[in-house]
Amino acid sequence: MTLKSVEAIQRRLAGRPAELAAARAAGAKVVGFQGYSLPEELIHALGLIPIRIGLGGSDRLVELGGRYISTKNCVYVRETVGLFADDTDPYITNSDVFAFDATCLQTFRTAEVVEYYFKKTVFIIGVPRNFYLDEANTYFAAELSNFVSRLEEFAGTKLTEANLAASIALYNQIRAEIVAIYDYQATQHPRISWEQVFDVIQAGYVLDRQEYLGLLQALHGELAAGQGEAVIGRTDDDEARIFISGSVIPPGDKKLISIISELGGRIVGDDLWSGLIPYVEVDIKEPTIEAIAWAYLHRTPHGALPYLDLATDGRIARLKSLIGTFKADGVIYHTLRYCDPYTFKAKETKDILEQIGIPLLELHTEYAGSDVEAIRTRVEAFIEMIKLKTETEIAA
Amino acid sequence: MNEISRHIQASNIGGTAEYYRYPEEVREEFIQTEGIEFRDGSRVTAAEVWDYLTNVGPVKFPNLYDNSNLYTGRLSRDVTLPFTLKHNYLLMTMHERMTKAKAQGHPIVFVQGGQSVDPYYAAGAIALRPASTGIWARRQREGLTRNQDELEGQREKQKAYNAISFEVCNSAGYEHIQEGNVPADMVAPYTALRCSDVSYGTEAHRHGPRREDVKLLLVDYPLDHQKDKDWAIRYFADNLRRLTRNIDSLTGRTTTEDDLAREIKLHNEGRRLSVEIADLWWSAANPPTNGKDRRDLFQLGGMEVHGDPVASLSILREAKAYIEKRVRQDHKTQGVQDNAARLFVCGSCVFPNDYRCEEAGGIIVGNDNHWSDITTIVDESGEPYYELAKAVLSYPYEQPLPERAKWTVEQIRKSRTDGVLFLYKWGCNTQSAIARLLVDEIKAQAGIPTIIIEDDMTRTQTEQLQNRVNAFIEMVF
Repeated sequence: MTLKSVEAIQRRLAGRPAELAAARAAGAKVVGFQGYSLPEELIHALGLIPIRIGLGGSDRLVELGGRYISTKNCVYVRETVGLFADDTDPYITNSDVFAFDATCLQTFRTAEVVEYYFKKTVFIIGVPRNFYLDEANTYFAAELSNFVSRLEEFAGTKLTEANLAASIALYNQIRAEIVAIYDYQATQHPRISWEQVFDVIQAGYVLDRQEYLGLLQALHGELAAGQGEAVIGRTDDDEARIFISGSVIPPGDKKLISIISELGGRIVGDDLWSGLIPYVEVDIKEPTIEAIAWAYLHRTPHGALPYLDLATDGRIARLKSLIGTFKADGVIYHTLRYCDPYTFKAKETKDILEQIGIPLLELHTEYAGSDVEAIRTRVEAFIEMIKLKTETEIAA
Repeated sequence: MNEISRHIQASNIGGTAEYYRYPEEVREEFIQTEGIEFRDGSRVTAAEVWDYLTNVGPVKFPNLYDNSNLYTGRLSRDVTLPFTLKHNYLLMTMHERMTKAKAQGHPIVFVQGGQSVDPYYAAGAIALRPASTGIWARRQREGLTRNQDELEGQREKQKAYNAISFEVCNSAGYEHIQEGNVPADMVAPYTALRCSDVSYGTEAHRHGPRREDVKLLLVDYPLDHQKDKDWAIRYFADNLRRLTRNIDSLTGRTTTEDDLAREIKLHNEGRRLSVEIADLWWSAANPPTNGKDRRDLFQLGGMEVHGDPVASLSILREAKAYIEKRVRQDHKTQGVQDNAARLFVCGSCVFPNDYRCEEAGGIIVGNDNHWSDITTIVDESGEPYYELAKAVLSYPYEQPLPERAKWTVEQIRKSRTDGVLFLYKWGCNTQSAIARLLVDEIKAQAGIPTIIIEDDMTRTQTEQLQNRVNAFIEMVF
């Protein structure tokens, strides 16, 4: 199935590096960033171009990055450092400064390594671990204000309430469109797959945000025209609806996704920070830094932010809710080696989901191809098990 | 027969291993030394310490008296340094003392290493880091050989791996606390960068068997130039207040600012003493103690290893006078070679076997872990929560890398270090991430050789670690 608006997004993506270089030549400034708690709105509102950096899936870049950061860091972190060492990625070479947040402590270390070895200007935003406390909001707002001050100095302009309000409105629209489009992939007769939606989301990391909104609206319109309202439901041959959770799956990392699709699993949902989750329920109540801080801290928590009460954990609640919404039969919990925030929660998550009858398969992997067949065997068995369970339930 | 071999007396406790006994000829001098004061006002005399170490200890804990040079925790043979005997006494009696303190109404709070513990004690709790909880758990098992004890330790650790992940390095005492070996009331560490696993490990307690009994709290340590940001200091101070309030909810009392101020004063004395001892030690032409005693002495300024800061302070005060005397007399320490290669250890948690380093011609003269916090003195003149927060956020180990490297080089110069080992545990993300960066900066600033080595918590790679350390010593020597 090919959607014209998806093709349009792909075309715009292909042309983006040259466009970015031209924009810089004309005086525009680019901020490469990485992190879950880093509000893009602030970069955008200052007239700067935000580019979310980071790729996955390349052994070569992982090895290159591992020369600077440790082999005990996850492959995503190593590949990010590898991108700087390689210095050919157009989004790295076209960024003037870089911003990282400290949601994941390994990202914080990445910033230190990038600053030291590659002599880049780096801005870091501290992120509270006790994110749910009132005082954490005060601290985070101060960190964001500090970030804005540094950006203002870099941009040579001041943040205005009007510009911030306009950027927040734009990003709210982008988030709403993504959430709406996302539902279509989980419908009975989808014209778009989860894999395509995932790519569309990640295209937004680098495309001009105003143009991206237009592209999303066009896609939404095309989907609505083709199948009306999105009604999530199971197709007749839909025997294994898979939900993906766990560590980041960045652009370029297709290993697990390809295996699941090849083996007849249908991915219908995710709670990845490189997928749907950053766009869900971001409630910025007014155009102020304090309101942005509050909204970002009260989104679905990232796994790297510890939460000490299982019964009220918003991440777990969101996971359960999305599994229900997208009518998933099982969860593939993807963990990268040395990704402690998600790896440490694997058994706990499995135990929790077991209580609501949802099986979970943890796959602990890296970008190397050496475990492809091992993963394939495990995914195949998991999908077979789900199919059997589904058939039994239907028969009953 | 030299001093060391004279003190090694074979016995048949527990099988064929060779066991150490404290030599009777030092008894008379030892029992004339100071006793140990405790936080609850009780005291133990040096004679009682001697009796425990020579009669009770060998029967209860034969593993601790194992004489093998392969045993990293082997008792120091420097028996003319009363500190080492008293320190070992305090470690051996951990179970009895902590059980008694708990019965006296002091909540047990799990913390991480390399952090100050002033606010915990101000609120009437006992703060124990992973090593201390491990010691408490192990001192409950009597009559074991070293191998039996290590196997038991591995078995316990396996429970944490099963409940959390095999990649967990620091399990935040999970195995001891959730299995009920250590009756902790609260897990409440600082979330400093020193160990990222501590935060996730604390979170893991929420699904353990004792989840209803153990209170969880993170004392949230802000990152990135934190000491220069007033809002970060205030945030951390708020976290410290929340900590003492939570401990208060266990004790039923109210911790005042005066309580904290008094505790800071006490802990500052410990920190200052350790720094003064370090300066003395480093100033000596010949190392005045062996590497193991040096490390124990320097770390004691953290005031947390014994679970009783008053006891720690009591033996630190006495130790300083002994170190002064040894430096004055140009004491030569048994087991340390002339012109030994002086090594500084960076990183976290891992340490090579001091005795084997010394056999190979080296000596470890300093380390950054469990030291940067001790060198940070809290200003006693201001509002105690704010000043404590400010000091804690100033730990050199937790600063941006250029600043951390600058401080490390200062320690290296003061200690006249010849070479630097950066060691980290397998799975340690946050220290391993900057290993190369830190040693590159040290090489650039200090111009001395460095090496990065990874070790394994399961101790299956101990020989590999030592082999590489010894090769490095040979190169430096």
